[in-house]
Amino acid sequence: MNKKNQHIAPTRWSIKLLRTFVKKEFLEEIEGDMEEVFQENLEKYSVKKARELYHREVIKLLRPVLVKKLSGDLKLNQLGMLKHNIILSLRGFKRYKTSFLINLIGLSTGLSASLLIFLWINDEMSVDKFHKKDARLYQVMQHDPRPDGIETDTGSPALLAKALIAEMPEVESAVTVNNRGGVGSHGIISAGDQSIETTGTYASSDFFNIFSYPLLAGQPESVLKEQADIVLSESLALALFGSTEDIIGKLVKGNRHLMNKDYRVSGIFKDLTRHSTAQFDFVINYETVFANVDWLNEWNADGTNTYLTLKEGTNAQEFNEKIKNFLLDKPSRENDQLSIQQYSSRYLYGDYVNGVQSGGRIGYVRLMGIVALFILIVASINFMNLSTAQASRKMKEVGVKKVFGVSRKSLVAQFMTEAILTTFIAVIAASFLMSLVLPAMNEITGKQLGQNLSLNLVLMMLAIAMVTGLIAGIYPSFYLSQFKPIAILSGKLKSTFGDLWIRKGLVTMQFVISILFISGFMVVSKQIDFLQNADMGYNRDNIIHFVMRNRADQKPFLESLKNTPGVINATYQYGGSIVGLNGSGSGFSWGDPMQNEEIQFRRPHVGYDFIETLGIELLEGRTFSPEFANEQNTLIINEAAAKIIGLDDIVGRTIMDGDDEKQVIGIVKNFKIKSLYEPMEPCIMRFVPQGWDIMVKIEPEAQSETINKIEALYNSFNPEYPLVSTFIDDEHRAVYIAEQRVGTLAKYFTVVAIIISCLGLFGLAAFTAERKIKEIGIRKILGSSVFEIIKLLSGDFSKMVLAAILIALPLSYIMAARWLENFAYGIELKWWSFAIAGASALLIAWITVGFQTFKAATVNPAECLRNE
Amino acid sequence: MKKTKLGEFEELVLMTVVVLQEEAYGVEIKRELEDRLSETLSVGSIQSALKRMEEKGFLTSEFGEATQKRGGKRKRIYSATPYAHRVLKEMKDVRSQLWAAMPNVATS
Repeated sequence: MNKKNQHIAPTRWSIKLLRTFVKKEFLEEIEGDMEEVFQENLEKYSVKKARELYHREVIKLLRPVLVKKLSGDLKLNQLGMLKHNIILSLRGFKRYKTSFLINLIGLSTGLSASLLIFLWINDEMSVDKFHKKDARLYQVMQHDPRPDGIETDTGSPALLAKALIAEMPEVESAVTVNNRGGVGSHGIISAGDQSIETTGTYASSDFFNIFSYPLLAGQPESVLKEQADIVLSESLALALFGSTEDIIGKLVKGNRHLMNKDYRVSGIFKDLTRHSTAQFDFVINYETVFANVDWLNEWNADGTNTYLTLKEGTNAQEFNEKIKNFLLDKPSRENDQLSIQQYSSRYLYGDYVNGVQSGGRIGYVRLMGIVALFILIVASINFMNLSTAQASRKMKEVGVKKVFGVSRKSLVAQFMTEAILTTFIAVIAASFLMSLVLPAMNEITGKQLGQNLSLNLVLMMLAIAMVTGLIAGIYPSFYLSQFKPIAILSGKLKSTFGDLWIRKGLVTMQFVISILFISGFMVVSKQIDFLQNADMGYNRDNIIHFVMRNRADQKPFLESLKNTPGVINATYQYGGSIVGLNGSGSGFSWGDPMQNEEIQFRRPHVGYDFIETLGIELLEGRTFSPEFANEQNTLIINEAAAKIIGLDDIVGRTIMDGDDEKQVIGIVKNFKIKSLYEPMEPCIMRFVPQGWDIMVKIEPEAQSETINKIEALYNSFNPEYPLVSTFIDDEHRAVYIAEQRVGTLAKYFTVVAIIISCLGLFGLAAFTAERKIKEIGIRKILGSSVFEIIKLLSGDFSKMVLAAILIALPLSYIMAARWLENFAYGIELKWWSFAIAGASALLIAWITVGFQTFKAATVNPAECLRNE
Repeated sequence: MKKTKLGEFEELVLMTVVVLQEEAYGVEIKRELEDRLSETLSVGSIQSALKRMEEKGFLTSEFGEATQKRGGKRKRIYSATPYAHRVLKEMKDVRSQLWAAMPNVATS
């Protein structure tokens, strides 16, 4: 490869590298040697290879004898400058303690707040990501067209997984997994005389191949091979056998809710972490369900989830198109379309509107990300403002340095060093702050953040901190280093018009952000308050809910329950307490069935005293009562339903419930069943003679005694399960836990943002007052009042804050309105709540500035004028 | 200067310098040694040995001519000092004495 007419050189940066570290006096010789060797190599090898060899040789030159010394006459200059700059910065910190402290407090608070948020976001993002086949792991979603739009959920036929494997070549493997709370997922497992109440799932044999739940015993390929195989969690195994050793092959028994079968322990998996959305304590081979539950062998049954892995290199988009119509030719499945969603995205992107993915928790993640960014911006602005405001102090230094020939580059380096050093100290302070706040943060978010910090995470956080330092430092460095030495030293340069504008703009921006925070916080907390205290149409105070599964004894139990002292009333139903009731359906008809049998109603099955226990207002007719026979053939409807049905004098008339004719016996006021996310729905209540879920209204006094009595009564009926009772008030609150958490976080971060903004303002005010002290003295001598001076000093700040209010209010109104769109029942946005946000920002600014201003205004003019 | 030791590799480089005479500069030494040892050496290893020995007083050096092949950079020609010759001689003597003293078994 000898090209004589064209000079081929080694890679430029290898040469550069060589020149940076080799001692100057050796450089010519060694560079020549290297070049010679390179030219020789060019004759033997390709250009690429020769360059690579050259680079390797450069690295091998890193020997103590050949490398420049770090100190001494020929030291690396950059290092010396760095040392010099650090010393200068430290001296500066010592000399101007106030501004250093303000910078430090602002930056470290800001950093710790945003790093906490970063930890939280990182935790949210890592959910379900631990599966090794994550990139190819999908869950099947089913889209069901309804009159009010497409309803999407994860339920799919149990037969789907097998059919997909057989008919779709792209599918590597697919498993059927029991729905959470599906058939036989909760019951009692016993081994010997140990019986444990537990919750688990059923899954096809490939389950542990597709998902990477680590196994302590057993092989992923074989643990669910046989129909009777069961895999236990570590803690369940410990609870049953007291050990995880030597229990493979042992038999455990499932009670009647677990198919009443003996299972053979075939493996043990490690307890699931909170980074797994699926939570279960045992896995049984799904074949057990196929063998015992007939209806799941039909195509029209939804009751399971289907998960699959695609073969490597399969395009998910194309597969989505293919799977879309997979169900259509199956019996009684002519409407339902399928799609796949990456398994690990289901946590953050769980919401579907009309069949299209529309966010989910990712909304909160983004929101918090924006909050963190805003806080960092506010903190950086502080730094910029204070540094540029102090320009006058540094002007002479810059002037003298420039006269002596210091380049602008090294001045920028000096100021950047100062910024980064401040950030670095702030990082140390911030990590201390974080360690103090983390427990509280974990309490609020219900997470365990910061417990296993990986190196990557720490590096990322350091990177965030350093980038903040860089951003905060860039503007001041360039601003300070641009002064012309002649102007500075001849004293002609005061301060230019332009930089004042920038500083004012920055302060305004800070306050825009603060006002956004304040109004955002007000809207969020009001909405949460509204949700938690909203009138649901029923009285949820003092009602406890528990599950009682022995059907046979229910009547006598309820009788005695009602006679227990402290109990006011009791009722029963299926499907959870009133807070958890869901499910709606069509099938009611009246008049012309073609017109209305598709209309959706909430249709809970409830028992006697349902209306009475919950204090729902009866408008017309009567409620279900044991005094009447054949209550199964009656219905109670709510106002909304009555309006839809639209028949006059509906009480006493009959409508069709499927094929049965049923009489409407009463109308009640509207009440809410599920959360306030959903609009008030028409509801038709059907009667059921017994149900698992018991709700008991108790006296407000001596509640724990009453509950103890109820428990004693419950235990006297030989229950299989211990009593677990909750107040439905708490259940209701739990529905809004996400809002609650965001609300609490919003509160704290609002305070942080405001504190940081105020710190900056405080610093600026102090600085302004100091610079204008002579002006104030002269004005006072000439007869200015204290009030006039205060006006003079705070006028500028007030203008900035007012400008911020003008910008921020429309913005915050738009943002609040958009957020409230998520709720069917939102608060009304009142103009005055934004006015309050603006006014409080102004007030906070005044208080902050006021202290400094007042101090300056009341100064004795003789004091500040006498030294000239 | 305390009695300076000469490392094994340094000794080889030093002897090569003596052998090459006027031609003793970095790359030529490298080539010569590579041929004799039949292994590849890096520029760094040769250079560091040269610099160390120069510091210890075994070698002196001066700039030679520049060639196009070296990108216009001058060579540095090394030559051994009388002290180096003496040390080499001493080492050779020590070695031959030791060889002579060895029982005649290990050479097969």
